[in-house]
Amino acid sequence: MVAGDIVLTGLMAVLLVGVAALLTRVENWRSYTPLAGGGAVTGDETAVINREKPAGIIRWLTTVDHKDIGLLYGVYAVIAFAVGGIMAMLIRLQLVTPGGAILSNNAYNSILTSHGITMLFLFGTPIIAAFANYFIPLLIGADDMAFPRINAIAFWLLPPAALLIWAGFFLAPVTENMIEPARTAWTMYAPLSVEQANPGVDLMLLGLHLSGVAATMGAINFIATIFTERNEEVNWANLDIFSWTILTQSALILFAFPLLGSAIVMLLLDRNLQTTFFAVEGGGPLLWQHLFWFFGHPEVYILVLPPMGLVSLILPKFSGRKLFGFKFVVYSTLAIGVLSFGVWAHHMFSTGMDPRLRASFMAVSLAIAIPSAVKTFNWITTMWNGRLRLTTPMLFCIGFVSNFIIGGVTGVFLASIPVDLILHDTYYVVGHFHYIVMGAIGFAAFAGIYYWFPIFTGRMYQRTLGKAHFWFSMIGTNITFFAMLALGYLGMPRRYATYQFDGAIAPLTQVSTFHQLATVGALILFIGQLFFVWNIVQSWLEGPKVEDGDPWNLERDGMLDREFQWFEEQLEADSPEKDPSLLADGGQEEQDEDDS
Amino acid sequence: MAEEPGLSDQYPTASPWPLFVALGLALSEIGVFVGLFPVAVFGLILFGGSIAGILTESGYAERPWPTLLGVGVVLIILAAAFTLWQVPVADIALSNVGTGPLFTRLVAVAAAGAVMIAMGGVASVMEQTAA
Ligand code: HEM
Ligand SMILES: [Cu+2]
Repeated sequence: MVAGDIVLTGLMAVLLVGVAALLTRVENWRSYTPLAGGGAVTGDETAVINREKPAGIIRWLTTVDHKDIGLLYGVYAVIAFAVGGIMAMLIRLQLVTPGGAILSNNAYNSILTSHGITMLFLFGTPIIAAFANYFIPLLIGADDMAFPRINAIAFWLLPPAALLIWAGFFLAPVTENMIEPARTAWTMYAPLSVEQANPGVDLMLLGLHLSGVAATMGAINFIATIFTERNEEVNWANLDIFSWTILTQSALILFAFPLLGSAIVMLLLDRNLQTTFFAVEGGGPLLWQHLFWFFGHPEVYILVLPPMGLVSLILPKFSGRKLFGFKFVVYSTLAIGVLSFGVWAHHMFSTGMDPRLRASFMAVSLAIAIPSAVKTFNWITTMWNGRLRLTTPMLFCIGFVSNFIIGGVTGVFLASIPVDLILHDTYYVVGHFHYIVMGAIGFAAFAGIYYWFPIFTGRMYQRTLGKAHFWFSMIGTNITFFAMLALGYLGMPRRYATYQFDGAIAPLTQVSTFHQLATVGALILFIGQLFFVWNIVQSWLEGPKVEDGDPWNLERDGMLDREFQWFEEQLEADSPEKDPSLLADGGQEEQDEDDS
Repeated sequence: MAEEPGLSDQYPTASPWPLFVALGLALSEIGVFVGLFPVAVFGLILFGGSIAGILTESGYAERPWPTLLGVGVVLIILAAAFTLWQVPVADIALSNVGTGPLFTRLVAVAAAGAVMIAMGGVASVMEQTAA
């Protein structure tokens, strides 16, 4: 132990000295010119270089530009999506046979836990932050986020968070399984999560905590930006729909994530310092469920509202019509935001809670379906009689609506107590939320990536590959998750590594058939994502350059939003930023206001 | 005033500090919660130092040293308050470092605070005598 401490001390000292040395090299601590709020150009003429950013890797490590940070979030999220997706494939391969095909029970539980947490916290929240960082300032005509440095801090908390969440997988082999991956499932229910002695659980909790801190910092930043940084032409009446959903989402984050953070700290204290928050003799294990779901249900709307905003923004562009009932889409967003804090106990119907309380949670849960349906009808009405153009982003928007309907309707069934008592903890629940998290949230993310690909990269993606991506994803999603709904009806419980049960309990042959179907669907889905990765990487490197600032031909319908106007200006200026020699030709003396 | 401009003076949209604020916070959390004494101390120093740096860089503070000193004082007060509240007085002794799970962690926090006070103090004095 003492030797270990000395080694650690040495390591830490070297790290700290290294950091200090690096900082003295890049920063002169006596030279600061005050620039509160950041972003503005400094007045220190003497040695100021007229470029925005340093070159190479240093640029990416030090950037506080919202567009760069947006790209960092995007790359991070796509990597997390790949990791979580490979875990999902392992889960599906395991379940092709009742005895389990490839994994031990422990490995299965570890991977299941990690899959859920990776997809929700390391893919879902960051991919939304990617779009929001890049486009909110452009859409509202702001120079940058309100707090550019806090923005960067929020992003840089995420890589350590991911390493901590996955830490058990890296450390198990080197510590002879002293530290293993957590096996608590993403809900981390006490007493299981208190009693697993494995330090890997602590590391995962710390990672989650950091990701929560990051989300909260981001949310404060978005609220401040949308309130204070709009240019004069943007007011509450003409604020775009995506900004509305991000504003609502940020408010939800502000109330939900600090609560998760506190609950996690309480769990850590129970685990390490013998407190009794969730012990039977203390607050009781149900306290965890209440705290967790008070965060957890708003979290699902934190994840779905901005994708709804993306669809509300993109779908009209390819329907040739303005969003039908814009106001009601905004109102329903706000309604969902408020109601989502009043439904958490629908995750706990079968815990033996007070039946009167249960009934009121059922009522609110059924009510929340109304604003969700309002949106759905608005999307459908927008397309009605429109001039539809089935581009890849549009296909993903339509897929979103279709999958969201199935996900939403199954949710309404679960909100009904008697139905839930039968279907709770079966694959029906898994099918329900995957229709939404994969079929809707995932699809909206793809729609956003394709729609704005020209802005991100200055290039066009390959259309045929994009459409192949869509069809494989759509078919794969529906086979996989419809099979899961059926599995739930057959009584297959969720979170099991094997299912060799007695035929008297459930029809084993049908159950294995539907499991195999789900695996086939997952393979189709997986192949679709290979098209996606290939398309993005190759097109980014060598796709045709976009010459036209309006690649989607939106001008014709008068629907060219501010971000594409900005893009057009960028193309015209032909960025002296990228090639400083252009400055000498006298074309552009000053940096354009907008890109600082 | 400036002999040589720093990175964030040359480039208005760059700052070296956010990365280290994040790293400092991550290391502090790991150190304090997992109970790794050196990681806690160095993580907190990195965290406090980067906060001092980023506040100075963005013009909210003129010099980093008073902030560093202040963060150190806050940590010591926090550690002392928790000790008095949660640790039996009889157990408060240097020889008990490494035994009680809570006490050891609090000592780590206080140690980081002490180092920051020392660093902030010495740097302030040196700067004033040099100028
Ligand atoms: C139309 C509105 C919705 C209703 C009425 C609804 C209702 C429910 C109910 C009652 C459950 C609990 C099932 C059980 O465990 O027995 C549930 C689970 C779940 N729902 Fe929904 N839902 C809705 C929309 C959504 C949306 C939009 C999302 C995602 C963004 C979502 C994500 C989830 C997740 C992740 C779970 C499972 C949590 C777990 O136990 O791991 N739901 N839903
Ligand atoms: Cu819910």
